Amino acid sequence: MSAVDNTPVNKPSENNPLFSIRDLSVSFRIDRTTRLDAVKGISFDIPANSTVALVGESGSGKSVTALAILGLLPKQNSVVASGGRILYRDRNLLALAPDEMRKLRGCDISMIFQEPMSSLNPLFTVGFQLIEVLTEHVGLRDKPARARAIELLREVGIPEPETRIDAYPFQLSGGQQQRVMIAMAIACEPKLLIADEPTTALDVTIQKQILDLIAEVQKRRQMSVLFITHDLAVVGEIADHVIVMRDGEIREQGSVGRIFESPQDSYTQALLLCRPRLGRRPKRLPVIDDFLNRTPAAAPDAPERSRGLRGDEEIVLEVRHLGKSFYSRKGLFGRQEFKAVHDVSFKLPKGKTLGLVGESGSGKTTVGLALMRLHEASSGQVLFDGKDLLSMPPREAMRYKRRIQIIFQNPYSSLNPRFTIGQILMEPMQIHRIGAGEQERRNMAYELLEKVGLPGTSFFKYPHEFSGGQRQRIAIARCLTMKPDVLICDESVSALDVSVQAQVLNLLQDLQDEYGMSYIFISHDLAVVKYMADEVMVMNEGEIVETANSDDIYLNPQHPYTKKLLSSIPKGWQGRTERPLLN
Amino acid sequence: MSIASHAESPGLWVLAWRRFRHDRVGLVSYYIVLLFVALVAASWTGLIASDWEKEVGVSHAPPTFLGPGAVASHIEPAAAPQSLHSDESAESNVIDPLAEVLAEIRGGKPIGAADTGIVDPLADVLAEIRGQSGSASATETQAATLLLGGDKWGRDVLKKVIKGTETSMFVGLAAAALAALLGTVFGAMAGYYGRWIDDLFNWFYSVFTSIPYLLLILSIAAVLNQKGTITVILILGLTGWTGIFRLVRAEYMKHKVREYVQAADAIGASHMRRIFVHILPNVSHVVLVQLSLHVVLFIKSEVVLSFLGFGVGVDTVSWGSMLNEAQTELLIGNWWQLAAATAAMAVMVTAFGLLTDALRDALDPKLK
Amino acid sequence: MFAYIARRLWQMIPTLLGVVLLVFFLFTWVGGDPAYLLAGKISNPEQIENIRRQLGVDQPIYVQLWIFITQIATGDFGVSWSTNEQVSDIFATRLGPSLTVLVPLLLVSTLLAIAAAMLVAYLRGSLTDRMVMIGCTVGQSISILVYIIVFQYLLAYRLGWFPVQGWGKGFTENLFTYSLLPIIVGVLVSLAPDTRLYRTFFLDEINQDYVRTARAKGMSETRVIWVHVMRNASIPIITNVMIQLPGLLVGAFLIERFFSIPGIGREVLLAVERSDFPVIKAVTIYVAIATMITNLLADLLYKAVDPRVQLK
Repeated sequence: MSAVDNTPVNKPSENNPLFSIRDLSVSFRIDRTTRLDAVKGISFDIPANSTVALVGESGSGKSVTALAILGLLPKQNSVVASGGRILYRDRNLLALAPDEMRKLRGCDISMIFQEPMSSLNPLFTVGFQLIEVLTEHVGLRDKPARARAIELLREVGIPEPETRIDAYPFQLSGGQQQRVMIAMAIACEPKLLIADEPTTALDVTIQKQILDLIAEVQKRRQMSVLFITHDLAVVGEIADHVIVMRDGEIREQGSVGRIFESPQDSYTQALLLCRPRLGRRPKRLPVIDDFLNRTPAAAPDAPERSRGLRGDEEIVLEVRHLGKSFYSRKGLFGRQEFKAVHDVSFKLPKGKTLGLVGESGSGKTTVGLALMRLHEASSGQVLFDGKDLLSMPPREAMRYKRRIQIIFQNPYSSLNPRFTIGQILMEPMQIHRIGAGEQERRNMAYELLEKVGLPGTSFFKYPHEFSGGQRQRIAIARCLTMKPDVLICDESVSALDVSVQAQVLNLLQDLQDEYGMSYIFISHDLAVVKYMADEVMVMNEGEIVETANSDDIYLNPQHPYTKKLLSSIPKGWQGRTERPLLN
Repeated sequence: MSIASHAESPGLWVLAWRRFRHDRVGLVSYYIVLLFVALVAASWTGLIASDWEKEVGVSHAPPTFLGPGAVASHIEPAAAPQSLHSDESAESNVIDPLAEVLAEIRGGKPIGAADTGIVDPLADVLAEIRGQSGSASATETQAATLLLGGDKWGRDVLKKVIKGTETSMFVGLAAAALAALLGTVFGAMAGYYGRWIDDLFNWFYSVFTSIPYLLLILSIAAVLNQKGTITVILILGLTGWTGIFRLVRAEYMKHKVREYVQAADAIGASHMRRIFVHILPNVSHVVLVQLSLHVVLFIKSEVVLSFLGFGVGVDTVSWGSMLNEAQTELLIGNWWQLAAATAAMAVMVTAFGLLTDALRDALDPKLK
Repeated sequence: MFAYIARRLWQMIPTLLGVVLLVFFLFTWVGGDPAYLLAGKISNPEQIENIRRQLGVDQPIYVQLWIFITQIATGDFGVSWSTNEQVSDIFATRLGPSLTVLVPLLLVSTLLAIAAAMLVAYLRGSLTDRMVMIGCTVGQSISILVYIIVFQYLLAYRLGWFPVQGWGKGFTENLFTYSLLPIIVGVLVSLAPDTRLYRTFFLDEINQDYVRTARAKGMSETRVIWVHVMRNASIPIITNVMIQLPGLLVGAFLIERFFSIPGIGREVLLAVERSDFPVIKAVTIYVAIATMITNLLADLLYKAVDPRVQLK
């Protein structure tokens, strides 16, 4: 697809942009014969004192672009084509001598990364790593350096900076670690801060704090921020200009208002609409293909689906006072109890979806695993067909195993890399003796592949040949071989790109409509849960804090934690139209 | 419903082979190792070097390219200077509890000397054997030079080297296979089941690793007090499983919590099925690399053991026994047995080592 | 901390018990009646009888085990079957020479290996890197025996730069005259495997995220390697060195034997050749204990070096 509006944003009234990237191309040598073109001749500007969002899904080339600006691409196997230019203060950064470039890094241009825990050196204190930057670029040492470091820590919101300066990274929380990274990045008053998915690994509530911090810092120091993300809601909140990338090319770029209100490129349109929105619930989520082919499902006024429980539905699964504790050693002989799940009770109606929402550490995943007896619960009952699954002897439990199944989060590790797809699909049938013989099982496997939208030739292929979304579909097919009554979706779409998420969610919904399966949908993503679930339970620190119909819980949250969770969701562009536009 | 024809999709091993093919160093080592294997096969079946014991050359025959008589006269081993030995009876390469007694009886004459004044009840049998293999005083003609030289008894060094290769390869592979089998099974059980099974195997592991490897081997050798190839293989295999155990255990612990194993549990696969059908294929490449490393380790250990006299039997040749002889030979300027054994060992072990590296890279490519 | 050490010592007991059982099993059950073994080595039948009585050979197996355990507890393993020296004396006098060679050897080889590995990690992927690695592989493929034989022959016997073998009286004399060649040979032998291992440690660290951050901050490559990478890689290196220690005591037996250094390794070798069980048993037990204690020390050192480690 040809790109739309490729010319960089450059209002005649503005002075020269801070950075001008022209015709940047980067490719990687995978091995002797294969070459991967990660970035294919892109051009854009980064104006001074503004936030530019670089949006794209995985593989779009956005991180590679950032690394190219800083000159951090691995020398051994990356090739930057000679025609490209990165202009900063009339110098082409790509043509600079390594020592000259090094002087700019950390000083004029700095970068923060996605995983703060591993991005900090675990063996040096926070202060050491902060002072290092000051010494290198500004020449500060000893007392003045330490004082400045403490100031910086205070600026980024670290409590008690005088003592925390001597802390080690592992002693800080994820949010605090990212604040330290920001402190290191702004220490030398850079002109440009590149933030590569800085909040993706953080909980929603922390994410909001970090985003606010970055915006604050940007305004106070009048610097430019290149914010890389896949999350359009975040973009809508903080960006002035938006650049949309796909497969190494720029699909569209422009001011944030224009991009959100009148996107021209089909891919951009798809990205904006594929994601479930808090306010609407179409019967099917539009997918990228719909936009690229301009089919009617793309119409913004598609019919909606209503969700919610009346209260009189048939109950297929009932959980009573489920509890799971982990024990660790303490002292010479004692042990310490950690309650991962505490007194969780709920009922799952037939053919409906129950959403389980919480941040990391809330215990939601543990609940799912305990239901399946993949973790041994410490207490409680799980009633299925009137029998308690948890206290059944293993032999009897085997018969019930096929009736509750689970789809895991990570599509890359939920399929055995050494099995062919055919083996993966046939195995459950062989174990449970489904089907009259090998031939019939094969037929069933082929049917299921078709049902989940994969070609029959997949039967003989290995998982590594498939993308994340396709692997999730294979996992779904594997569950379907046993025709379960209950399907637990444990963060099943969280690791997928937005466009693929929509496809998998549509598939799950279709299957529920067809087979009448009941779902337990576990996720931290509130928008997705609202879209999929009839009833929503909110979990925090092992306990259920609130349960309500999905529409009600978003419109009228009762518990303070629920309110906090909901207010942390980035409102996106909608939430911003009340605020005055920058530039 | 007909199944459409399909192209065979590449699994792990096919992909690895493709990557491997591009690694020139790896490929060359692979062929060298194959060559050695072919050599060993030929030697084992008796095609070549089966007559290594024949004393076909003069004592200390020099290699052909040096020419005959390029070396000082033969020195009786008993007169070899003491300085390169310590506390050993000079003439025996082999720990013989009766050595001193025999020496007394022989009246101080070296082994092999024909006239010792003892009536030997086995004299006829020995004469027959001697007749077949030739002896220093037999009337067969002996070569003045041999291709790679000859040892003290005039045996062909080339043939000894080939036989030595066979010994080392056999011992190395067999012991490594035994160690890998034990280490993998123990590691799988310990890593997968955890708890008391893990504690039990870990106890074994700590006991075995608290004793330094060589000390353990020497102790067992001292206690068994018998030589032989099978003994060596057993000693090496039964003590060398610890490294593989630790790695396999770690792999199983890692894989056990992976989602595909949990998924197998969810669909109802039994424990045994999970251990051997699901996880093992994902661990086999680690085991293969470890196997290869241990082959090298065991070959080197066997050489040291044979050198000290605790290794293979007297009737089996090993690079170790060759090196043992080489010590005294150096003093009289004969370097060819040392060179031949060292070169053969160096080439094979290097090839194996490079092959292992290439194998590792092909099976688990990482950006270097 | 104290609770941790106490627990570790407590946990050592089953292992120690296991080692005792293993040694006992080997030497008493498999080894059998010493009379048979010693037949060719000790000509005095009365002496053999003494030994048999001491071990309690004619008594039930658990009595023999008890005798063995009391020996360990009191540290008195009796006398060597061949030299009649007190085993504990043997141990005490041989420890010194072993350490005189081993400690400098360990120091020098570790420092050289670190330097070589760092250089090669810095130049990774280059021709130098590949050549050095192949050189290491080739170097490792040559048996230690060859190194010893050749170097002893060339440098000592032919060129006379070092004494061929032997040991002196004073510490300085021992260190600077008699230990030099053994140390040189030992360093050469361990250089190749250590370099490869440490190179792996360095490369593992170089590929970590925090290195990318350091570069993004504008740190020079030198600083990245010498300060950031080195600090992290020092952990596995230290662990590796500490763990090697007890094994080296015995593992140096070849060097000690060839150079006639009266150390523990050589003693063990002699004992094995003469089937001198008390010596072998004693060394095995002592070294096992030393290994367990060294492991504990290594873990404590780990804690001192890595702030993340929580001793539980």
